Amino acid sequence: MVGSIPNMNLAVLVPALPLLGFLITGLAYKRLKHNQAGIIASIAVGLSFLISVALFFMLRNSGQNSATVTLFNWIALGNMNIPFAFLIDHLSLTMMLIITGVGTLIHIYSIGYMHGDDRVNSFFAQMNLFTFSMLLLVMGANYLVLFIGWEGVGLCSYLLIGFWFKNPAYNYAARKAFVMNRIGDVGFILGIILLFYTFKSVSFSEIFTQAATLQVGAPVITLITLLLLVGAVGKSAQIPLYTWLPDAMAGPTPVSALIHAATMVTAGIYMIARSSILYNLAPITLNVIIVIGMATATFAAIIGLKQNDIKKVLAYSTVSQLGYMFLALGLGAYSTGVFHVTTHAFFKALLFLGAGSVIHAMGGEQDIRKMGGLRKKMPITYITFLAATLAISGIPPFSGFFSKDMILSKALEHNILLYILALGTALITCFYMFRLLYLVFFGEQRMSGAHPHESPKVMTVPLMILSVLSVFGGFLNIPSLFGGNLSFSNYLDSAVVSKSSEEIGHTTEIGMIFLSVVLLVVIIYWAYQTYVRKAQIPSGDEVKQTPLQRIITNKFYINEIYQTAFEKPFGLLSNFLFKKVESIILGPAVDEVGTITSKLGDLTRKLQRGNISFYLFAMVAGILLFVVFILTN
Amino acid sequence: MILLIILLIPFITGLSLLFFRKAATARTVALISTVVNLLLTLSLLNADQSVTYSAQWINYLGIQFSLGYDGISTIMLLLTNLLFPFVVMAGFGRDQKNVPMLNCLILCAQAALIGVFLAQNAFLFYVFWELALIPVYFILLVWGGDDRKAITLKFFIYTLAGSLFLLFGIIYLYQLTPGTHTTDFSAFSQLHIPAGTQNWLFWILFIAFAIKMPIFPFHTWQPPTYKMASTQGVMILAGVMTKMGIYGALRFLFPVVPLGVLYWQNLVIIMSLIGVIYASVIAYKHTNLKTMIAYSSMAHISLMAAAMFVLNAYAYQGLIFQVLSHGVTIAALFYLACLVKEQTGTTEMPQLGGLKINAPNMAILFLIILLGSIALPLTAGFVGEFLMITGLFQQSIWFALFGGLTMILGAIYMLYAYQRVMLGDKKVAFAKATDLRALDYWILVPLIVVILGLGIYPQPIFDILKPVAEVFSGLAH
Repeated sequence: MVGSIPNMNLAVLVPALPLLGFLITGLAYKRLKHNQAGIIASIAVGLSFLISVALFFMLRNSGQNSATVTLFNWIALGNMNIPFAFLIDHLSLTMMLIITGVGTLIHIYSIGYMHGDDRVNSFFAQMNLFTFSMLLLVMGANYLVLFIGWEGVGLCSYLLIGFWFKNPAYNYAARKAFVMNRIGDVGFILGIILLFYTFKSVSFSEIFTQAATLQVGAPVITLITLLLLVGAVGKSAQIPLYTWLPDAMAGPTPVSALIHAATMVTAGIYMIARSSILYNLAPITLNVIIVIGMATATFAAIIGLKQNDIKKVLAYSTVSQLGYMFLALGLGAYSTGVFHVTTHAFFKALLFLGAGSVIHAMGGEQDIRKMGGLRKKMPITYITFLAATLAISGIPPFSGFFSKDMILSKALEHNILLYILALGTALITCFYMFRLLYLVFFGEQRMSGAHPHESPKVMTVPLMILSVLSVFGGFLNIPSLFGGNLSFSNYLDSAVVSKSSEEIGHTTEIGMIFLSVVLLVVIIYWAYQTYVRKAQIPSGDEVKQTPLQRIITNKFYINEIYQTAFEKPFGLLSNFLFKKVESIILGPAVDEVGTITSKLGDLTRKLQRGNISFYLFAMVAGILLFVVFILTN
Repeated sequence: MILLIILLIPFITGLSLLFFRKAATARTVALISTVVNLLLTLSLLNADQSVTYSAQWINYLGIQFSLGYDGISTIMLLLTNLLFPFVVMAGFGRDQKNVPMLNCLILCAQAALIGVFLAQNAFLFYVFWELALIPVYFILLVWGGDDRKAITLKFFIYTLAGSLFLLFGIIYLYQLTPGTHTTDFSAFSQLHIPAGTQNWLFWILFIAFAIKMPIFPFHTWQPPTYKMASTQGVMILAGVMTKMGIYGALRFLFPVVPLGVLYWQNLVIIMSLIGVIYASVIAYKHTNLKTMIAYSSMAHISLMAAAMFVLNAYAYQGLIFQVLSHGVTIAALFYLACLVKEQTGTTEMPQLGGLKINAPNMAILFLIILLGSIALPLTAGFVGEFLMITGLFQQSIWFALFGGLTMILGAIYMLYAYQRVMLGDKKVAFAKATDLRALDYWILVPLIVVILGLGIYPQPIFDILKPVAEVFSGLAH
């Protein structure tokens, strides 16, 4: 079943264990008591992580770059041969380690967070199903297996956003997420079909081998990459298909951490990085990605400035960070994009879990205007949240600094305007993150009657582990400026072909870092002055704002625009087609045929009303005609 | 001989049911009969496809009673005999009038459908085609719901009108055959009719099938009929009878009037794709669960019709695959609609909601079947739709795009319906609603196993279809 590396079949267990966990917790959801489901689910993902680690070393020791594990022929007819196969290489291993590693921590955290929910067993079943799908997505050896995982994670996202299904608003958010993802998926599947017709295969290895012979800018490749991009835009919540992600915060907070921050939403970045060879052939598409990524990063960050729901701030921040990753991809720096996926998985998962810890402590309250002063009540949550905030803001030497700095320097290599936008967005990010931190943890407690307390160990230990990763995760990929050798990027080189670009000089790079650090410190100080010293609390919804503020608070009215432009007309069209076209035109048209028939019937009936002399006349006439007919022949 | 046995078992058992008085006995005997038939059909799958049965029938017209099968008829036969045990079971434990008669009619319908799919000449095909209508007509008329008389009449006249065209077409083809005339399909396919004739003959033959499927704008009989029909009636109609249209079109049009098919190809594809969008859009805001499922069925069948006319081997295999997948999925969906009605007394969605609280397992199974319907990967629906869209793509990327819209529109209307029925807070009126009973699992779980099984491992179906697919792709060139 495998190439030459022994025991590589173990890879099958990586998705199989969460699947097994899903089946156990799902089928026995009425019988499992207390924390049993959580423990089973966590063990399943934990074991997957251990096996992934083992696979990592096995592949390294084998001296090979990749291994394929084929299970069976999924669809085989005519020229089409699509095996159910896994590809274990440096890119998929990186993603597997993130998914199972961060996933395990989030599963364990959820045991504490979801404790007492009466559908906790279903929750863990769905979390395991998600992990299984996400692993299929990154392990698939061809686009169609990737697509199974791709749609599978979309389903789990739908289920978990609408987990508290009694609330209609949550159900609406869940449907919205699924439908917007599906819009992307149609583009994606058409891209896969075009790949099939172009290369007579959907498997990565065959397509990429053949693509090497194609010319840069070939129209068919441009079309393919654009179609795949539509899928990535939907899944990774980029403009114009991003509005589902902030609404997705309706799900339990661990879901936001796992699905809507660390893993699923990065699937689009994974897929484009996986297809790097194709994208390198399509400069037009790369430019489109730059525009989409940069616009999304800035736009979402601006909206993040005015959000007052702790999870909404993080959600817009996620959209914005995903935009950064797209920017990296568009610049041809795929491994940098994947590196930002990795550090983002650490610090954003940590931010969400920290937010969950806060929400847990505040008895479900999510409005940061009602929080404050939690620093002393929840020291572990505070310290870990601070670490993550520093990381996302890009303060050296925290993990986000390394990944973001690499994206900034790539932007500078490309175009100074791009650099300014990217830097500006980083500063906005820093401001809204510290605004959040100060409002939640500093100052006086603003909610009377609340008795916040630190979360139990089962929740804080994952926070601590993630904070270690958020702080030191950047050391995986130290640039030469600091004496490193970009080990993370180099590791990915065998799977991802990044575009080479002119390196900026070390002097420029030092100047660049110096500039951003100074500006970041100014921003942090400014935020401190505003929200701690002057203790400004964002005004309530009733207070009058300037038009610009109002537009930002209302997220540029994009939701309203979409509703007016698409959702409402679609509903009206549906009613119109049924009530007018179907019921007044098409249906009666058929009845009309029936009426005409019955009128004809009336007519013919007149010939048969029992008038014997008419019958006799008709009979004689008939015979005469018959005789004439015979004689004339 | 085995083909004759498969045809006669339901017919003879069905008539013998009239001698039973007890409802339970009649149902059990009917179930045994359908299960035996299913087992016989499964045993056929491994046999080579040269098994035929032929007997002298109407000699002076050159018409024989000949049965046979190929890849397409195997799938049709499989679908029919797979679904009927569940159709019979759907009656178990339910309060129905005149149970022996009802089951007799169900089995007669099964026999007639088997006859349609096995017939080797057009005359026999036509006899069974019309014969199938009679038991279904009575099932609808006697066991149906509100407004059944008017709706059944419309259904009956509509399909009968289509059949008349078909009959005319068959007679026309018959008199074209050389020598002592025949209605054998094999003879029809060797006629080499001039192109001009094929162009009008195409519609004469197609209209009956277009109504049966149905494709836009010949569909108006369908939603009211599905809504009014009893659960068993609609399982037969939507699960199997719509496939008669697809089967007929494949049997008559492509081999007999290939030039006519080529001439009208794009028009029919566009009509079908309009049907896909039209039905999907209506399904979104529609308030009745059963009618909503009816429109979703029409959308799926329309996509299959479009795929049929692109004359592409992938689309073709996807289409036949989807015949099986759609039949199983739609039957399961309608059965669920029946359960919803039993628990709440209504299928009007604005009055429904929160059923998941009392019936969590029903909600889960509903969701799985619904996912099959919206073609999530690893369900049978995905394999079929992926192949059909692949086929449409070869003709035109726009066809593929409009066909692909079912992926979005299906998610829109199905999830909205799911929310309106299952999710949200509990309605006081349904406080007494209960979850699935043992019988419901016996019906739904096997159907789900088929939906998932074929989605994960579709290869056996492709193996059955392989020889026909080769012939078909040869035809296309």
